[in-house]
This record gives sequence, structure tokens and C-alpha cells, in this order.
Amino acid sequence: MTKIIDLSVKEKIYKSKKSQISILNDFRLEVAAGEKIAIVGESGVGKSSLLNIIGLIDRNYNGEYTLLGSLTNNLHTSELAQWRNQTIGFVLQESALINSMTVEDNIKLPLLYAGSGKKEFKPEDFESVINAIGIKPILKKKPLECSGGEKARAVFARGIIMKPQIILADEPTASLDMENRERIVTLLFKMNKEFNTTIITVTHDLEIANRHDRVIHLERSK
Amino acid sequence: MKIFKFIVSKIFLRKTILGIGMILLLCMANYITFTAARSILSTFQGYQETKYINQEGVYIANLDPDSHMDMNIIGENGSQAVYDYLNNNFNYAFYTDGFIVSVPNIDDMEISLGYMNEEYYKLNQFELSQGTDLDFDYQFGEEIPVLIGKGLSKTYPVGSTIKIEESVLGRSITLKVQGVLKQNVYHANYYALNSKTYYNFSILFPVNEAFINHANIDLQLNGLMDVIILQTSKEEIADLSEVIKDNLGLTFNFFSQKENYDYFNEYYLHTLKIISITTFILLIVITCLSIWNVLVSVRLMLKDFTINLLVGLSYSKLKKIFYGYFGILSFINLTVIFIVTAFNRYGCWLRKDATFATYGLFGLIGMDWLALLLVVASDIIIGVIVVESMLWKTKKIPISLGVLQ
Amino acid sequence: MKKSLFRPTDMLELSIAYIFCFFLNLLFDYVKTLDLDSYLLKAFLKNFIEYQSLIVLLFTFIVIIFHYQMLHRKNAEIFCRILVGDTVFNITIWYILDCLTILVFVYLLSALANVYLNFNLATNFYLVLIFITYILISARQVRKYENF
Repeated sequence: MTKIIDLSVKEKIYKSKKSQISILNDFRLEVAAGEKIAIVGESGVGKSSLLNIIGLIDRNYNGEYTLLGSLTNNLHTSELAQWRNQTIGFVLQESALINSMTVEDNIKLPLLYAGSGKKEFKPEDFESVINAIGIKPILKKKPLECSGGEKARAVFARGIIMKPQIILADEPTASLDMENRERIVTLLFKMNKEFNTTIITVTHDLEIANRHDRVIHLERSK
Repeated sequence: MKIFKFIVSKIFLRKTILGIGMILLLCMANYITFTAARSILSTFQGYQETKYINQEGVYIANLDPDSHMDMNIIGENGSQAVYDYLNNNFNYAFYTDGFIVSVPNIDDMEISLGYMNEEYYKLNQFELSQGTDLDFDYQFGEEIPVLIGKGLSKTYPVGSTIKIEESVLGRSITLKVQGVLKQNVYHANYYALNSKTYYNFSILFPVNEAFINHANIDLQLNGLMDVIILQTSKEEIADLSEVIKDNLGLTFNFFSQKENYDYFNEYYLHTLKIISITTFILLIVITCLSIWNVLVSVRLMLKDFTINLLVGLSYSKLKKIFYGYFGILSFINLTVIFIVTAFNRYGCWLRKDATFATYGLFGLIGMDWLALLLVVASDIIIGVIVVESMLWKTKKIPISLGVLQ
Repeated sequence: MKKSLFRPTDMLELSIAYIFCFFLNLLFDYVKTLDLDSYLLKAFLKNFIEYQSLIVLLFTFIVIIFHYQMLHRKNAEIFCRILVGDTVFNITIWYILDCLTILVFVYLLSALANVYLNFNLATNFYLVLIFITYILISARQVRKYENF
């Protein structure tokens, strides 16, 4: 299978005025296209930090990261932004919506930055995503008027609207009930099955983690 | 543009209070800069005018502040004697204005009359838009050739005549328009250089010896107040002071070039320094408040920015958006200042205030435009500081998924 | 238990905002008493002194900004306090009392300055009324954060 992610982190350091913490020491991750990976571990071991690195948000680490065959370490910030827009989709917790915008505006946000991108987006693509996720009735609502499940699905819709090759999910079901939790996981896996999308999920839920192809346990550095 | 419109309308304008706060702070900064710039420019213009007269051997008269003028004891013979002495012994530049008459004109303005002799006219190098220079060798009693301001030229073109009841001569006279002054020609007060009289609705009379001899005491005394004695010496000036004291009972001070220069340095330069420093301090305070305001804004909008950065917005685009947003706020303020200034200038026309009625592009005169340019410059400096502070704050909290949880 | 929404930095920020407005008003009053012999300086300052109330009023907007951002930042805290047994009413009262305490403290400082400079104590009082109005209006916003 094609290698889509090749990440090698020597260390990632968080500094504060009084102390410094080193995480992800000598960490290496290779991910094939279409693979489903779950990252688990206790709080503070660097699960979200790892997603920040894979998602091209954080470059302050010692290491090398090759994404789809391109070394990303020296890319300009605007190139990174383009990668995030075209290749990566973030599926986050329900709170990751802009409260002053309608659900529709929130979902369409990535389209705003796709102007000069390579992907062509058709209005029917939006319709099909909305119908697949079942959030048509709440499109004109503001996030604060929606239930937790509706918000989670809206965040999911925004994450997949650009049909990314990689979906990074950071505890997407953490605050959801069983029914909505199952709905989100099913949608994630459906993306993987239909479009061969690579899924990397950070979760505390071992039951969800075990439904992935591979589970990576992160441990605290010694 | 699409991204800019989206971010401004969906993020910035949703926190209106912060935007209004920034507009008000900028408004203060612009008002301070504009006021200071106009004060300094106006003083500088006045100083340029005094440069013509501030030459070696020139003395400018000034009534001693402690000298009390009692019109009951001052007679026409006394003032005539002073002028006789002046005519026989000195070259002098004579100028006085402020006499108001009603002359029909299409703008229905009261007209201000100014009187000057040939020496004063030569010193000031008045610029004309039509006609020829003033002729001082006219026969008294016939038509008097005059210069008029631009505002009167529509009613009285070059060559036309104006009949007026002239108060200083005390009779009706006929004036012949010999030339039209360029728009916004002004005269600055020598002792308040930032204060000006515009000649757009003035009639300038050529004054010769015969005119002074026939004029009433008001004109003669007013003319003495600012009389400029040319090519003379300290000793001759002392004699003149004696003559004035003997005939009018008034004490006059005559200031030499050096004294005027020292006065300017001590008085104006010092004041201009105070104005500049005060303006600078106020601008620094307002800039600090603006920085606080934008840091607060970033703190409240951080989640919104982070989500946008996650889905494809780059820092370089964000920087452009910040600059664009600040540019709009600055433009709103500049428009307000422009409108207020234009309205003030237009107010002089509404009030029929002939001495301050001016012409200019959209109602603003050159000095206003220059001051506006300085406001733009100060906005650019404040803008760079404020926007870079915003970016620094945005980058200081690196975008991370943690911000959203 | 500390029931106030204010942290030391918030108190400092609000105090500075109040001090700035009172100081500005005092500065105007002081400039008016100066016997300036410079016509130019007098003409320059006249542009500001004539609009003293308006200028000071516009600058009081920084206090509005403070209230606005303070309550926005504290929305989670307000919600959490309500969750653990506090009430919107109590939080609002605490908020008003905290703001008033800071206002009274700063006003007393400015009153001392007025006494020192031999100015009428009433010259700053209109600002107190304006700030109380701001406090009362902003206090009504606390209830907005009852639901997170």
C-alpha cells in the first residue's frame, strides 16, 4: 500500500517559565493510504500534540515529516494552509464551531479558502454531504441553538466537505451519547470505506479504538 | 476579497463594541494630529509671510501694552503730523484692514476693505489671477484702482467699477477693478501668526500720501499700529518714537529684525515644540490604548481565528485581512474628519464670514489637505504598530487543537 | 471561598481605565487654570478644552470595552459557578460590588488630587455617574451566560 504519512519525531518540548516537558521522544509513525489508526494513551502523553504535528499546525518539534511524498518541514505557512485545506480534514469535538456563524457558514468555511486550490467543488457535493450526515434542518441555526449531537455532526461535515485524503479526529465522540457516538464513528468509517480516506483518531474510548486497523499506545517519556 | 469580506462580516463585525472602540481611539488620534498639524502649518505660513518684512534695517511698530489710547486727546492734527514726519524721513510700509462695507455681490457677503501703500504691496508680492498690479499714482478724487478677491470677481470683473460709501474718506467713491487676487490670498497677524484674514471677499486700496491726508483718524491710527519702517536705524527709530509720543501721547515699540527673530525663537518655536511634544505624548497614549483594545479583541476572537487557520487560512492572509480591516477603520475616520472640516469651512460661507470664506477642492484648502496627509501618515504608523501587535498576539498562542477543546 | 469574578489583573485593568478617565478630566481642568501667555498655545488647547466633556466621554468607552471583554471571557466561569450552586443574582451582585469598590477607590484618589489642586470636587463626579451606568448595563449581561 502507498505510504501517505512518514513522521519521525526525535522530541517535542513544551517550555514554561519554570520547567520544560519533553514528549514524543524518538517517535516514528508510518501510515498507509486508507489505513484507520487509533491513538490512545493517558492525558498529557502527547496525543493532541501528535495530531497538531500530523495536521501541519505545529512545526516546533525536532524531527522530519513527509506527507504524500513531500517533506513538510520547510514549507511556507501559506503552503501549509493550502495542505490543511485540500488534504487534511479535522474532526473535532462539538465545541469547535464558530458560534457567531450559522451551521451552514461553519460547514462551508473550508470552501472559502479553496479558491486557488486544485480541487473543484460543486454545489451538489455540499448537498450530498449534508444529506449523508442528515443535518439539513439545522443549516440556518447558530451552534448555540443546536444539540450536542447536531453540533458534532456539523463539525464532522466541515471536516469532510473538501473530501480530504486524511481525516484527523481528536476525541470526536468525547461528549456525545451512545447514539450520536455511534453515528459519528459510522460516518468516519464510511468515509474510509467509500473514499479510501486515511483516518487517525485520538480517543480515550478503547471500544472505538479497537474498531480501527491499528491502535498506537502512547506512553509518558521516561 | 471574498475571504476579507467573510472574516470582517462574520468575525470582526460580530464584536461591534471592539470595532467602535478602535474607531473612537483612532478618531481621537486623528483629531489631535489634525489639530496640531493645522496649528503648525498655519503658523509656518504666517512665518513665511513675515519673512518678506523681516529684513536688515526693518522695524515693525507695536503699541506698548502699557500705553493707554485715549481717543479724546488724540486729534487729527497729531496723527497728520506723525505721517508728515514719516513721509519726510522714512520709507515705510503701511497696511490696515478690517473696515466692513456692504457691496452687492452674488454671494451676499459683507466686504472687508484693506488699505496698503506701495512699499507694503512690493514687500508682500501679491499674486494675481487676472488684471494688472495696483497703480499707486492715481489722481485722488477720480476712480481709484483696486484689487479684489476671487469671490467678488464674478460680480465685478476686471475693468468694472464699484460705487461704495467709503467710511475712512467719509464720502462716496468709485473704484475701478484693476486686478483679481488669486484664491485664498491671506494676511497673517504678525503677533499671532496662526491667525489669518483671507482676501477672497476683500477690496484692497492703493494708499498714497494724498489718500492718507484725506483719510480719517481711524485709518491713520490703525495704520500706525503695524507700520513697518524700512531701511532705517535704531537712532532714527528712537526719534520717530519721540515724535509719536509728542503728537499722540502713545508709546510705540519698534522691533528690529534680530528682535523679531529672537521673539520667534522664544515664543513660536517654544510653543510649537510644546504642541509637538504634547501631540506626540497623546498619540503614544492612544496607541497604547489601541494595542490594549486589539489584544482584547484577539483574546475574544482566538477560537474563530484558530478554526479558520485549521481549514486553510494562512498567517500571511490573516495579516492582509488585519491591515485591510484597520485600513477601513482609518478610512471611516478620515472621512469623518474630512466632512467635519469641509462643513466648518462651508460654515464660514453660511455665516457670511467674509474674512474666513475660502475656496478649495471639496471645500478644503491646501493646509487642510496637508494636515489630512499627516493624519494618514500617523494612521499608517499607528496601523503598523496595532496590526503587528494583533499578529504577535495571534501567533503567541500557537494554533492548536487545544484552543478549541 | 472567593466569589468574585475579578482576578488581580482584571482589577488592575479596570483601575487603570478609571484612573485614565479621571486623570484626563483633571488634566483638562488643570490646563484651564493655566495663565498662558502664548496665543498660539491657547488657540491649540481651545480646540480640546471646548470639547472637554465629549472627549472625556469618548475615552470612557475603554471602560465599556473592559466590561464587554471581561464578561465574554468569564462566560465559562459564570456557567460553572451556577452549576455548582451559585445564582445569577448573586454573581451579578458580586460583579456590581466589585466594580463599585474599584470605582469608589479611584474616585477617592481623584478627589484627593482635586483637593490638592484646589479644584471643585464636583468636577469629576459626572464620571462616577457615567461609570455607574456602565456597571449597571454590563451587570445585566451576566444573565446571558447562565447557559453555556
